[in-house]
Amino acid sequence: MFNLVIGQYVPLDSYVHRLDPRSKLISVFLFVIIVFLANNWLTNILMVLFCFAGILLSKMQFSYIYRGLRSVLIIVLLTFVLNLFIASGGTTLFSLGWLHVTTGGLTQSFFIAIRIMVIIVVTTLLTLTTSPIEITDGMESLLNPFKKLKMPVHEFALMMSISLRFIPTLLEETEKIIKAQAARGSDFTTGSLKSRIKAIVPLLVPLFVGAFKRAEDLAMAMEARGYHGDAGRTKLHQLKWSWRDSLLIFAMVLLALLLIFTRN
Amino acid sequence: MDITFEHVTHVYGRKTPFEKRALDDVSIRIPSGSFTSIIGHTGSGKSTLVQHINGLLKPSEGKITVGDFVIHAHEKKKDFKELRKRVGFVFQYPEHQLFEETIIKDVCFGPMNFGVSDAEATKRAEESLQLVGLPSSFWHRSPFDLSGGQMRRVAIAGVLAVRPQVIILDEPTAGLDPKGREEILSLFDDLHSRLNLTVIMVTHNMSDAANYSDQVIVMGEGKPLLAGSPKHVFLQEDLLRKVGLDIPETMLFLNKVLDKAGSKDKIPAFTIDEAADSVISILNGVKDHV
Repeated sequence: MFNLVIGQYVPLDSYVHRLDPRSKLISVFLFVIIVFLANNWLTNILMVLFCFAGILLSKMQFSYIYRGLRSVLIIVLLTFVLNLFIASGGTTLFSLGWLHVTTGGLTQSFFIAIRIMVIIVVTTLLTLTTSPIEITDGMESLLNPFKKLKMPVHEFALMMSISLRFIPTLLEETEKIIKAQAARGSDFTTGSLKSRIKAIVPLLVPLFVGAFKRAEDLAMAMEARGYHGDAGRTKLHQLKWSWRDSLLIFAMVLLALLLIFTRN
Repeated sequence: MDITFEHVTHVYGRKTPFEKRALDDVSIRIPSGSFTSIIGHTGSGKSTLVQHINGLLKPSEGKITVGDFVIHAHEKKKDFKELRKRVGFVFQYPEHQLFEETIIKDVCFGPMNFGVSDAEATKRAEESLQLVGLPSSFWHRSPFDLSGGQMRRVAIAGVLAVRPQVIILDEPTAGLDPKGREEILSLFDDLHSRLNLTVIMVTHNMSDAANYSDQVIVMGEGKPLLAGSPKHVFLQEDLLRKVGLDIPETMLFLNKVLDKAGSKDKIPAFTIDEAADSVISILNGVKDHV
């Protein structure tokens, strides 16, 4: 329960870490679109190579990326199997009743599995190398134009950073309450489904009580420190766009062009 | 129920960038019926240590024995219910674990989980609530209407109602006023002497550790640095200071008196009475010299 890697920032010092969150966000956004251009072996290998390059530049351990991937492996496997039977084309390899597996279906399934995995690797890389605060700052800055349309961009960003900020706190709290109730003989892991659902109540009630209390405290603390919303607010950490960020965007465009020329 | 740790190591987040060795080759013994205090700086591994005693955390290496219950590292899934029935655990801010509609129901939660009948659980709950001094007019109210101090007593009653032989207290007095603190500590002191309950208390308060316990274990960076009677432990002022701890206030005061009297001695005195007696004897000693 507590070794979820997605959304867990690992503070290291690398090229990827030092990039402006805006360029990283734009790149991930572009990447997720570009992925759909890949439709043959060469283009798919290009995508995988790009991911490897990103991981190497981030100095992140492969085992750590793999952990993030492991939690969604079942989804990858499921889409792989589904596509295996649904996609058609090429010669038939073998048949199970009315289900046929074809060479075209097989390669198609591989491509889709690769597509899902590279998307997950890239987004995991984003959250592993960018702190939640940076991500929300980047988002707010990218969404700035929408302020002209009277969209509450700042408020959204604030809500997001508060929720992100409190995920670890809530997890810690959950762990503590699980332990406290387990010490009183409550059992979350064994027994019938009904008894397990019943065991959740002693966990959820204190968790909600705590969350509401914390929200009240936070609101009070923000008010006490003179928080008054967006107008006239400055930032401690100014985002800085360097040549490296331009280079990253350039690399993404290059990748897109490369894919357009090499795809079928 | 004697408790022994043999070469116990605990590693958090193994094989991640956050890996941390919270306990490092710990071997200690907590005799049955003792009142043991565990002191140490924040992050010294005190809480990790005590959570091993009722199986909330499992050792990465080593062996723990609690009475006839043995926990080995690298063991497969194990049923800890039998152990948890005998070892109660009062967490830091235990009032956060309350969830039932009424106080009495919440206190019954523990005993019912361990298979006690409704009637027996209610009987035990009433006894425990009386022990912690919560008037019966409160029993059928919601625990969330109580004050912080009262909520804590209800939570403690919830642990006592299981009738454990060993009770672990993780900073039981954090955030309480002096009166509430005194009441909670004397409750456990009373249970310890009357029912021969083994009490293990994690604390930051040196005076509490000195006044109530018969054994003090000092933790530092995941290792037990010092263990022994309060008198023995609190005479090692330099070592305690090195790991970010202190000596009881009475001793701090006595040190100043001894200094003025030109003596390099140290006197272990933990209560005001003891300190007063020591001051008199020091003053008499000074007079004798003159």
